[in-house]
Amino acid sequence: MNMRMRLGLSLGLLFISAVLLFLFVSLTERPADKAKAFPRGLIAVGVDASVPPFASDEDQAVTGLDIDLANAIARQIELPLRFVNISYYGLYDALISGEVDILISALRVEAARMDDVRYTRHYFNNGLLLVAPGDKPITSLEGLARQKIAYEFGSGADTELRKLEDDNETVTGLPYELPRYALDALRLSYADAAIVDATAYGLYQSQHPDWSAAHTYLTQDHYAIAARRDNLDAWRLVDEALAALKESGELARIIARWL
Amino acid sequence: MLKTFRQKTRRAVKPLVRPAWLLLTAVYIVFATNWSPLEYVELGEAQIVQTTKPLVCVHTLLENEVQEWKIKRSLELAREMGATSIVQFFPWAYFEPVDDQYNWRQADLIVRHALNQGLRVIARLGLVPDWARPREFEDRATTLNFLPEDSFDDFAEYASRLATRYTEEIQHFIVWNEPNLSFEWGYRPVDPAAYTRLLQLSYRAIKDANPKALVLAGALAPTNEAPGSSAGLNETIYLREMYRSGAVPYFDALAVHSYGSTEPAEAEPSADRINFRRLEALRRIMLEAGDAAKPVFITESGWNDHPRWTGAVRPSQRLQYTLNAFEYAQAHWDWVEQLCIWAFRYPAPLNGHPDNFTLVSPEFELKPIYYALQDYARGWERRATRWLPPPAGA
Repeated sequence: MNMRMRLGLSLGLLFISAVLLFLFVSLTERPADKAKAFPRGLIAVGVDASVPPFASDEDQAVTGLDIDLANAIARQIELPLRFVNISYYGLYDALISGEVDILISALRVEAARMDDVRYTRHYFNNGLLLVAPGDKPITSLEGLARQKIAYEFGSGADTELRKLEDDNETVTGLPYELPRYALDALRLSYADAAIVDATAYGLYQSQHPDWSAAHTYLTQDHYAIAARRDNLDAWRLVDEALAALKESGELARIIARWL
Repeated sequence: MLKTFRQKTRRAVKPLVRPAWLLLTAVYIVFATNWSPLEYVELGEAQIVQTTKPLVCVHTLLENEVQEWKIKRSLELAREMGATSIVQFFPWAYFEPVDDQYNWRQADLIVRHALNQGLRVIARLGLVPDWARPREFEDRATTLNFLPEDSFDDFAEYASRLATRYTEEIQHFIVWNEPNLSFEWGYRPVDPAAYTRLLQLSYRAIKDANPKALVLAGALAPTNEAPGSSAGLNETIYLREMYRSGAVPYFDALAVHSYGSTEPAEAEPSADRINFRRLEALRRIMLEAGDAAKPVFITESGWNDHPRWTGAVRPSQRLQYTLNAFEYAQAHWDWVEQLCIWAFRYPAPLNGHPDNFTLVSPEFELKPIYYALQDYARGWERRATRWLPPPAGA
């Protein structure tokens, strides 16, 4: 057998082994164990109810986008749920110590926490948007030349605008006190574009349903659900439930209800 | 043919074997031992703070800063902003991780660079190493803020070591942080009498090490928690209890935290609301206790401008309220020695509303409030308007 044949045979065997290993892992993966994932017989959800419209505490009841999402997930998993209202600083401690099973609290995916935590797929992107009139969308940075861009003074949009100004000296920034003023400036043609985050844009649009605008993401800010790293079953059940909600359009309806 | 090929290959590869082994060994050392080559950062010329507002101070968080150039840059920016002082955390757990074994490397870096920038360092002490606390208390794991009474002497010893090491460099020491919050007292019911005993031991240890040093008590957090609450205790009640426990001789100044919450700087203080002027109630208690001669250091203050957190204000309000707070303190509180903004910069984002307390981002982007404070502190002309009025017709 010459060397070329030997090499071919080895690669062939390696490929077959990889396929067999993949099939073995796929076929033997056990379904997530609900009782193991949520031993209390309910889903304890940690939430910081001080960040509307995601979660807020009104008259002793928590409400918001995250709350509706948690309820929808519990329905998918077919378990009752209990909310535990925790300040931001204590959220991850509560998860890791087992006080709660999952966190649904407008959480950004943080690589630094992944030794202790697993994040699901994201359910909302609160990145900064470049918003332009519907009939004059801006699709590239070149399209910003000589444009007047409205933004909220001192916000993340302010930082982003300064970066755009560095890249393009002909851009003119129009600072306002509130993101809604920045969008007003765009809607009323004082500005050619505006930079606001996705939540501010969603809230504004819901108040101006007849206004036609186009947007493109300048930054990404993904929110996801967190489970303990050692509770793989909880993570799988919640992630699968979230996937089903996305697929059925229920997630989009929940977001539309609040934004 | 094959043999010749093998021989040729062996001959070609042989000189590469030794360098390859050396490279592999080096890679192993770097990754397996976490070793990193020494970073060389020039201290630079000694600087002097230029400011017209000596009250201005910032709380830095350099204890977790990995790279020395970032420590230097943070302190340069604090100095350039016109801050005269920094409050800096010196966590006991970092510097004495094993009983009686000290590692001052990070502390040395911070102190060296701060002094070179002309900044006064106010040292905040806390955070208990594993060896000085029980693993569990009442069936729960203890936190880094859990200091058992048995370890008060060890804490005082740490304070003494710190004061001794930096006799010339550090003259201000804050004993503990927010002892009136349960979270900061190891998730136990807060205990002003026990804190006073800790203060007493620490005071003696620091003064023995450096008689010129000033010991700051507190720093008390603003909270409305009533006696018996599991979360903490109203700071005015706590301070009264400290006085009742005989704290007077064991502190030279009171450290307090004075956050504005969602109210303007000038808003009237009230017993049931958190706002900037709430600390006036603490001052009244000091006067009642005959402690008028002692100054107050506001070691944490400020407003938050997160876009959606209910405890936040808009960035424009934050800027204005912060400047007004300095003006108010300067005009009305001659007993306030420093007003320190929480926080200058975090080494990494916290990915939540706390990020919106800072003046500088982890990537060293200077926020508009930094420039506004710089204009104020350096006595530069303020910009008349920073933002436009709402669009007409909206």
